[in-house]
Amino acid sequence: MALETIDLNCAESLYSLSDQLNLNEILPNKVTIWKLRNNNPMRNSFNNNNIKLEEFEALIKLTVEMAKFLYPFIRQILQSRDDVIKNPKAWNEFKKRYIELISERFNTNSMKVKRLLDPSLNDEIFIKIILTLALCISEDGYLKLRTTLINF
Amino acid sequence: MLQNKFIFNQSSVSLEIIGLPDYSINENSDYISIISQWKLMIIDKPLIEGNLNHLESIMKAFYCYSSSLLNDEIGSYESTLIDIKPVNYFTHNIFLKSSKPDVKPLNFKIGNSVLADIINCFDQLGSSSKVKNIYSNEFKKLKKKKYLLLFNKNNILNMLFPPIASLFSLFIVSTAFIYIYDDNDKRSFLINKNKLISIESINRLL
Repeated sequence: MALETIDLNCAESLYSLSDQLNLNEILPNKVTIWKLRNNNPMRNSFNNNNIKLEEFEALIKLTVEMAKFLYPFIRQILQSRDDVIKNPKAWNEFKKRYIELISERFNTNSMKVKRLLDPSLNDEIFIKIILTLALCISEDGYLKLRTTLINF
Repeated sequence: MLQNKFIFNQSSVSLEIIGLPDYSINENSDYISIISQWKLMIIDKPLIEGNLNHLESIMKAFYCYSSSLLNDEIGSYESTLIDIKPVNYFTHNIFLKSSKPDVKPLNFKIGNSVLADIINCFDQLGSSSKVKNIYSNEFKKLKKKKYLLLFNKNNILNMLFPPIASLFSLFIVSTAFIYIYDDNDKRSFLINKNKLISIESINRLL
């Protein structure tokens, strides 16, 4: 969702990327990607579909590839947060849109989601999400993100 | 002899590697396997340079620090050459100690954006086919959480070996006892004893 906050057309981009990465067998269409994304228990449309290992890995590959494309924007957001007094625009816009998407798509009754929406706590969480994406754009990025998610 | 030079750039950071190929093993002339010098240039920050040992230490420091940040551990790294400590969750304090006695230590702060650029420069160096690999596997060697260690093949063997060995030894000992106290043997022994007694009694009668 962080990538979707940066790229408004993320769903479409993810599907075209899955084509480029030859992930058609695992992710044949947009609906499959959407179903896999709905495995997140914080979503309103949560469905426990028992995600398979190859589907999990395909999603990580897509995320890393998207992060590579969006690195200039990701960096801009991080830089804006580093110097939020002089240059707050990119960070504030990102945070505002991210919160909008969370309130729209996540179950706001859940304590985890409430924590994400709490302005005194969410800065740290959002920074960590963006920093994780920024650190995973290398050729080994897939392994880094996978290890980070497994350790989470 | 002309040295090779490669530059890895990522936004505000630039890493310059200078060195030579190892001609003794017929390496390509455009390859670097002997790094003689390196420079890490960060916009608005002092130049960092040194030899191969310094580069290894600095790469290790940055990789360890960033992985500890990602894994929600206490993000702090200390070594004889470099200390990295978090000021808050978007500023990091770098303290570089020179190996030369007269040079004062260098202290400066970087944000998350510069940290990401530095790590990406090191990643480019690690995945480059033109420079000998020095420290690219750091992220693959990340410590996994304890519950994940349970799934390690060696750990499973270590966990299962003692109970299996004890069960096996119990089985062997108990089968030995079963053999000694075998009912059939006992019966045949009693029958033989009875026969002997009966033979003795017949002999007496006779």
